[in-house]
Amino acid sequence: MDFITSLFPWITNGPLILVQVMSGLSVGMFLFLVSVGMSLIFGVTRIVNLAHGSFYMVSAYFMVTLIEVLPERFVSFWVALLLAPIGVAILGGVIEMTLLRRIYHRDPLMQLILTFGLILVIGTLVLLVWGPDNKSVPRPEALAGSIRVFGQPFPSYYLLVLGLAPVVAVGLWLVFYRTRWGMLIRAATVDREMLGALGVDVSKLFTQVFMFGSWLAGLGGALAAPTVAVALGMDGDVLITAFVVVVIGGLGSFAGSLISALMVGEIQSFGILIFPAVSIVLLFAIMAVVLIVRPWGLLGHPEE
Amino acid sequence: MDRRTVAGGIAFAAALVLPLVLPTFFIVLLIEIAVVALFATAFNLLMGFGGMVSFGHAAYFALGAYAAALLAKKAGWPMLAALGAAPVVAALGALLFGFFIVRLTQTYFAMLSLAFGQIVYTIIFKWTGLTGGDNGLLNVWPPEALRTPAAYYYFTLAVVGTSLLALHAIVNSPFGYALKAIRENPRRARFIGVNVRRHQLYAFVLSGFFSGVAGGVFAFHNGSVFPDFAFFNKSFEPLVVVLLGGVQSFYGPLAGSLGFKLLEWLISKWAPIYWPLFLGAVIIAVILLLPQGFVGLLERRTWWTRPAAR
Amino acid sequence: MRPGPRSILAGILVSILIGMTPAVDYAHAQAKPIRIGEINSYSGVATVFTFPYKEGLALATKEINDAGGVLGRPLEFIHRDDKLKPDEAVKAARELVLQEKVDFLAGCITSAVGLAISAYAKDAKVLYFATHCQTSRLTWDDGHRYVAHTTNNVNQYVRVMAKKAAALPYKKWAHISPDYEYGHNLWEEFWAYLKHLKPDVQVVQQNWPKLGETDHSSYITAMLQSGTEAIFSGLWGSQEINFMKQARPFGLFEKIPLVSPAVGTPDELDPLGKEAPVGAITTTFPWYDEGTLKRHPKLDAWNKKYSEWAKSRCNVKDPQPKLGASWGYASVYIIAEAMKRAKSADQDKVIAVLSEGFEMEFPWGKVIMRGCDMQALPPQWAGVVKMKDGKPFVADIEESHGKDIVKSCDEVKELRAAAAAKQKK
Repeated sequence: MDFITSLFPWITNGPLILVQVMSGLSVGMFLFLVSVGMSLIFGVTRIVNLAHGSFYMVSAYFMVTLIEVLPERFVSFWVALLLAPIGVAILGGVIEMTLLRRIYHRDPLMQLILTFGLILVIGTLVLLVWGPDNKSVPRPEALAGSIRVFGQPFPSYYLLVLGLAPVVAVGLWLVFYRTRWGMLIRAATVDREMLGALGVDVSKLFTQVFMFGSWLAGLGGALAAPTVAVALGMDGDVLITAFVVVVIGGLGSFAGSLISALMVGEIQSFGILIFPAVSIVLLFAIMAVVLIVRPWGLLGHPEE
Repeated sequence: MDRRTVAGGIAFAAALVLPLVLPTFFIVLLIEIAVVALFATAFNLLMGFGGMVSFGHAAYFALGAYAAALLAKKAGWPMLAALGAAPVVAALGALLFGFFIVRLTQTYFAMLSLAFGQIVYTIIFKWTGLTGGDNGLLNVWPPEALRTPAAYYYFTLAVVGTSLLALHAIVNSPFGYALKAIRENPRRARFIGVNVRRHQLYAFVLSGFFSGVAGGVFAFHNGSVFPDFAFFNKSFEPLVVVLLGGVQSFYGPLAGSLGFKLLEWLISKWAPIYWPLFLGAVIIAVILLLPQGFVGLLERRTWWTRPAAR
Repeated sequence: MRPGPRSILAGILVSILIGMTPAVDYAHAQAKPIRIGEINSYSGVATVFTFPYKEGLALATKEINDAGGVLGRPLEFIHRDDKLKPDEAVKAARELVLQEKVDFLAGCITSAVGLAISAYAKDAKVLYFATHCQTSRLTWDDGHRYVAHTTNNVNQYVRVMAKKAAALPYKKWAHISPDYEYGHNLWEEFWAYLKHLKPDVQVVQQNWPKLGETDHSSYITAMLQSGTEAIFSGLWGSQEINFMKQARPFGLFEKIPLVSPAVGTPDELDPLGKEAPVGAITTTFPWYDEGTLKRHPKLDAWNKKYSEWAKSRCNVKDPQPKLGASWGYASVYIIAEAMKRAKSADQDKVIAVLSEGFEMEFPWGKVIMRGCDMQALPPQWAGVVKMKDGKPFVADIEESHGKDIVKSCDEVKELRAAAAAKQKK
């Protein structure tokens, strides 16, 4: 027992562990928003959208500009939060209609490679438009401080995330399982040819799904913007982690993304305290193990 | 004499003579083109002929480069011995990872290969004691006789040329045909008695072996090795080269590497900030418009082929 | 009447003579430029540093050329982008030496690139001026006759930080540094010197987030628990911004004092704005500071000149003088000075001059080029982050000089010997 406490001095510190768990959940929620979009797009269109991280980044940059442009009022952060993801959704729609639509019939790997090309293009465009300097989005005044959780400080802004994300998750669930559109999406995930044969305009559905997925990534980016530096390279960082989350949870599975994102958030949170040296490799190792043992992830469907 | 052999002969003769007429820098560029061409051809053994796209292939290039550098620098091996051992180390890595990777298909194959690639990168980056970490290993130079660019160029030509001949033989051997059959229709191949998994694994190991050769040659050319040799951005290089040149053609990667390296040099010289934009646009354009790559385009031109019997 | 053969010949001779005279004048007016191949990261994330640096370099080059150049020859920089990759840098160095036939090499921003170019320069026997990267290994452990460093190195600013840290009454320290070679180097140098000045300090916690980590909350809560009295941060750039933004709501810096060499730079302070860590001890380039301007009367004019220059160019959006700009500017003048003293652009003569060492005056103070290791020792400024009207800046500037604090020539000799011995094993 002493050995454990000397190795992990925080282990008897209940409030600290609670705060770490809550931080892990917040990180997990950001990841969930980005990953569920990627997972959704894959489920319906069978494309792994590597440019998803780029959408996250563009949304954060949109936040920077919107906050600079909007008058400095209490409401402006929330307006920006509303508008930035919509901007990204529009971008996603344009990309889908001009580029991706032409290659649905091609080998899925070619589609993946094309989205990699998009990462390079979008990244350079961001550099050209916003310049190389680091940018920052300040937290809204009301949420800039911290609250006390059993005597430990916990940033108030994360409360927003912890509060908003379940709302988003429930909202998504309602959309998928209680609306006609959601039913179409689920059907497309299982068998899109049959859906087309039943008279549904599948290509319009694809565009809508892509825009919706991009919107989710944009929401993640806009929410994350006040907690990080808005800088070039954001796209790669989030992409790699989101990729791991989606693979572990199962491409195309909504619940899988949720569980996996929370799990990865916690691993990142605690992994640092337990195994600081190997925490990066740990995620990739878990991803590799999942792919080896159960390639379709925890809650995905085996592909034919 | 078949026009391809003639073209090949001319190209080879040109390759031999070029160092005598070109300025030194272009010889250096040619060495790099040769290395990329070999790496891309090895990659294409998997992609074009085996139908398996790997996103973590830079790991085997890096394993070869680091093995060569470590043996030469820390164990004091002579260059040729280190170069001989490098591809073996890369092939062992390919065997270890490939065993798991070939059990998956398509997207999952690509993702697991990416995961392993990143693991290799992270190990190289963090194991500072052995690999020098992010500073890499420096001062890995070839012996005196091969120090000049021209001399190293001929050496590279010999090594890369031999490797390409070997790869060509592999592609046109019964093994190669079995591989192509697997690419076309794995189920049917299994029905005619081909052990699909084993063939794929062999292809993976061979591809890793020759990627290691490319890595080793590059290590001595560059005089140093760095962890970003294993990063996934580097894995996309042979992919882009193969796409540019033509996936299903053996010579596609050669042409692709020539074009790619020349473009990279020119653009980095004039407008470096635009290089990623250009690369991304080229990738998108090639996938949308030129599915067969440039060599594929050439091979399709009807005036090159004899009219089919009517 | 057709001209006879003799007149044709005369005509030809006269034409040749006439044709030659402009060529003779041309040769006098257009002296062969001195060409310096400069390799740096001009695409991607590093541009926030390299663009101002390039402008400082361009300004100095223009000034020197307008004044007649070096040894009557214009100075010309040929730039190449290394895409933050050391092997690209080596490739570019090769191209510059073999194809462009430059007289010298220059550049670098990351330590890996600097060391890689230095290794190539040693092999190709071409003098290389490291101009922006900071690792002390360049001229110390891995130093050799073909590499000179024209800006301060890590050892200088980290020791100044350690000196200020030693003046504080704190014994228990924790740190957070990026887990790569530079991060380790930084921490080890800081701790070694702090312990040397104040032997009773102890480390209570070490935090090594990966380079480019985005979420530091676990490290922050860990530090709050560690019982530390002060914190050293080796983070920089967007990672440090992430850390600061995340630490703020935890109230980390209100409770625990912070020493961070990098946070005082505008690329971090400006985006942080109201979220900047007030009270943190840091380094800076105090071009705006009254005390500094009084001590260095020429600085104000230089600031204005640089801002005018930067505004007229299209690369930098922010025309404020930056530390990188001063380095670019100083590097060019140091290179020019070395050639002037050598009275030649010949490698060996210039190296000989550098090995003897010299001093130069700049608008911000004296820069010493130390002969034993060809390492530049500029002034160093440290201060404390303060806030005014919602904008952070560094105040209470203390100026010191590199020559008083960096390792001595003898220590450098020992370092080189140790590194060489390790190579042989």
